[in-house]
Amino acid sequence: MPDGSCLCGDIRFEYPRDAVGVTTACHCGQCRKQSGHVWAIAEVPKVQVSIEGAPCWYSSSPGTERGFCPRCGSVLFWRAEDEDLMSVSLGALDGPTSLKLESHIFVKDKGDYYEIADGLPQHAAFEEDADA
Amino acid sequence: MSARDKPVQGACLCGSVAFHIKGPMRDVIACHCVECRRQSGHYWAATSVAERDLEMVRQEGLRWYNASESVTRGFCELCGSTLFYVPDGEARVVVSAGALKPGTGLRLTKHVFVAEQGDYYSIGDHLPVFEGFSGAEHA
Repeated sequence: MPDGSCLCGDIRFEYPRDAVGVTTACHCGQCRKQSGHVWAIAEVPKVQVSIEGAPCWYSSSPGTERGFCPRCGSVLFWRAEDEDLMSVSLGALDGPTSLKLESHIFVKDKGDYYEIADGLPQHAAFEEDADA
Repeated sequence: MSARDKPVQGACLCGSVAFHIKGPMRDVIACHCVECRRQSGHYWAATSVAERDLEMVRQEGLRWYNASESVTRGFCELCGSTLFYVPDGEARVVVSAGALKPGTGLRLTKHVFVAEQGDYYSIGDHLPVFEGFSGAEHA
């Protein structure tokens, strides 16, 4: 069962391994600004993510919220009102994760100071769009 | 380090923290240590500037977290953006590459603390990698 926490430990979470859908690195402008580089996530059904502690939620666009730790600032969650899945930070996971990053999304908005060179599929925007 | 005529602009996601960088900026280094990974949500990439060259334009949301005895990390408490890392006694500030307005001309040049890299990704860009610090974090 993947579990993880923010840097200071005030917020912990866990979800069942078999609940994980897509794992991806997002290069969109919002994720880059919030994470400081690129954000890597696992998509998990909201109802299967158990969160201890009280994240702060920031509404980054209508109907969506980004969850972070108010004490240490760790970037943790993204959720949308009308979606059953939520995104959970891969960087926050403890120990061996048994997960593998599968793709890069929103590479059309990637930063100009790095290359993506890990050989994974790259999508211009969402996963379902044509490859970049 | 590279000098430039105009200040580089940076900001958090919500704009409650905004800053200018008026002086030379170090090339971008990606850090894979557990602390950077937990805070940023993947791994962190940042430049480094002299403290005196970082000019705050807005800082309503700026909050500091003492991550250890010798390191303070700055973030926006309104939107959760990862922004700064200040090593004690070095008169420099490490600044998120993702917070900078594009067009800086900076490049990612190395990966540090790969000994603590997450098991769910590979790097693959053939840049130099270091188990811990590279020894050239200041320059």
